[in-house]
Amino acid sequence: MQLFNKLLKKLIRTGRGRRSFLMASIGLSIAMLLILAAVQIQENYHELLYSKSNQDSVANFLVLNKELTDRNLGATALERAEITGLRNQSFVESVGILTASRFKASIQSRSDRFPFFTDIAFESVPKEFLDVNSKEWKWEPGEFFVPIIAPNMFLDFYNFQFSFSQNLPQLTQEIVKMIGFTVNVYDAQGKATSFTGRVVGFSDRISSLLVPQEFMDWANGQFAQSGEAKPSRVIVRTKDPGNPELVQYLQQNGLTTDADKTRFSRYRQVVTIVVRIAWITGVVMFAFAMLVFTLFIQLTIASSKDDISLLIGLGTSPRQLQRFLMRQFFPANIWIICVALLAIGVLQYLLHGWLVPQHVFIKPIPSPVLLVAAVLVLLVIWLVNLVTIKNYTRQVI
Amino acid sequence: MRISFTNIIPLPLRDRLTQRSSDIWNTTLTLEQGEWVKIKAPSGTGKTTLIHIVYRLRQDYEGKIYFDDDAIDSMKDESIAGIRQQKMAIVFQDLRLFPQLSCRENIQLKRVMQDPVYAEPMIDTMAEALGVSHIMEQKAGICSYGEQQRVAIIRSLMQPFEWLVMDEPFSHLDQVNTAKAVQLITTECKKRNAGLLITDLEEDNHFTYTRQLQL
Repeated sequence: MQLFNKLLKKLIRTGRGRRSFLMASIGLSIAMLLILAAVQIQENYHELLYSKSNQDSVANFLVLNKELTDRNLGATALERAEITGLRNQSFVESVGILTASRFKASIQSRSDRFPFFTDIAFESVPKEFLDVNSKEWKWEPGEFFVPIIAPNMFLDFYNFQFSFSQNLPQLTQEIVKMIGFTVNVYDAQGKATSFTGRVVGFSDRISSLLVPQEFMDWANGQFAQSGEAKPSRVIVRTKDPGNPELVQYLQQNGLTTDADKTRFSRYRQVVTIVVRIAWITGVVMFAFAMLVFTLFIQLTIASSKDDISLLIGLGTSPRQLQRFLMRQFFPANIWIICVALLAIGVLQYLLHGWLVPQHVFIKPIPSPVLLVAAVLVLLVIWLVNLVTIKNYTRQVI
Repeated sequence: MRISFTNIIPLPLRDRLTQRSSDIWNTTLTLEQGEWVKIKAPSGTGKTTLIHIVYRLRQDYEGKIYFDDDAIDSMKDESIAGIRQQKMAIVFQDLRLFPQLSCRENIQLKRVMQDPVYAEPMIDTMAEALGVSHIMEQKAGICSYGEQQRVAIIRSLMQPFEWLVMDEPFSHLDQVNTAKAVQLITTECKKRNAGLLITDLEEDNHFTYTRQLQL
């Protein structure tokens, strides 16, 4: 077979139009690079959004409230329809209502060595939205002990600002959890009911003092100074806080949240545009490269028309001829794809090295999806080559 | 392989051929495997046309030709290639060598197109037998017609076959060289128990024909 192919090579000269072949190869290389880079960027971005090393548990929960302006002062309650609308959005996984206390309350120290007293307000949230897992997080009517979850930032504020200015000792989370205090709840007439309270956990997610939902519902029923109140804050669980649709929805409905959590949205739009441009350019160049390759195959077959016709006349099977021609044209494509893959591999490695110091983690090697994409593109090229070769050899035969 | 003809008439010659009688055109004829058949005909009566129809190089005819039970006009290109590689060898009247290849390469091409039946040295043995050893490395295009004719004969003998089809194969050979070629062809056909289908202008006694037909 080797000798047969050697003789065929002498007869069917693929050397004609070398320059156009070279140009098409360069075009295809750039097209491959763009298409595969688009796939890899998409993969990297996906990894940034959803991988464990990058995922920020705070960012997956957003506390939303109406943007406070001069016009809606005192009217920031969320209507039922607004909450239902939010719940129906594709980017929202679940919505929890933050219930605010509608009674006056205070906490005070039970120790003379460490005296404190402060008025306070509580909030509660359904358990599944909490980032604290404590066995003590429960309450039922008649119980004297009320567990409390405090925002982590409160403790940071105390440890790194307040304690210095007041010459007080710094406190670890564990120490704070051991300090018991009295929780006073006042009814409309100012009569206090006392409970014992203790911090059982710290939350990064919600920046208010939390009590169990059961306690809040009971206490609001018992001590509320006004009737039924509408919620003014909700907590939303979302897969991707950087989703531009989410940001757009919030803007359209006058809702606001921690802007830091949705900052990814802008980056993401830029990435989407870059990926889209790479895709379109890559695909257009790919189509042109395929066209030039097709013309090149056509030219080769046409310029060897008489020899091919005689080869067939002498008994060469069309399949033998097609296999030979495929072997002439196709391997170049494998090389091109390999070079493009290698280039993406190097770029990915460099990008990984560049991003690590910035605490952004992407894999140092390209994604397996990239290989799948490369194989798919190769399959398309193989099909285009095969169909072209079959069509044109059939015309000569 | 049996070759059967059923009322074959090439379309371009239809008017002329229906005016006269023929052993092949517009009649039924079966050539059995192993027969040595001579077809004699004057110029312009369709010898080359017949050879090309049998080899399925042209299909502008009426009637049917069968290889065993298969009508050749409905055979796929791949099957025809299989027959040309394994069952039917040919020497064209116009020889059809690749002028840009050497004589050796022309022969090699046919030798290695399928699983070879002969090792490479057989090329030299046959070239020696036909007196063309000295031109083996020359480009076929610059060889004399007589030399090319002998190269074409060697090429046809390099493959397996059940039928050897030859169209005026000795037209440019002298008596001595014709005798050498006849001897080589006879040996090779007998080795394979193959049939022979040869066309020529005149009567001859080159081979022991089992049948002589008038076109």
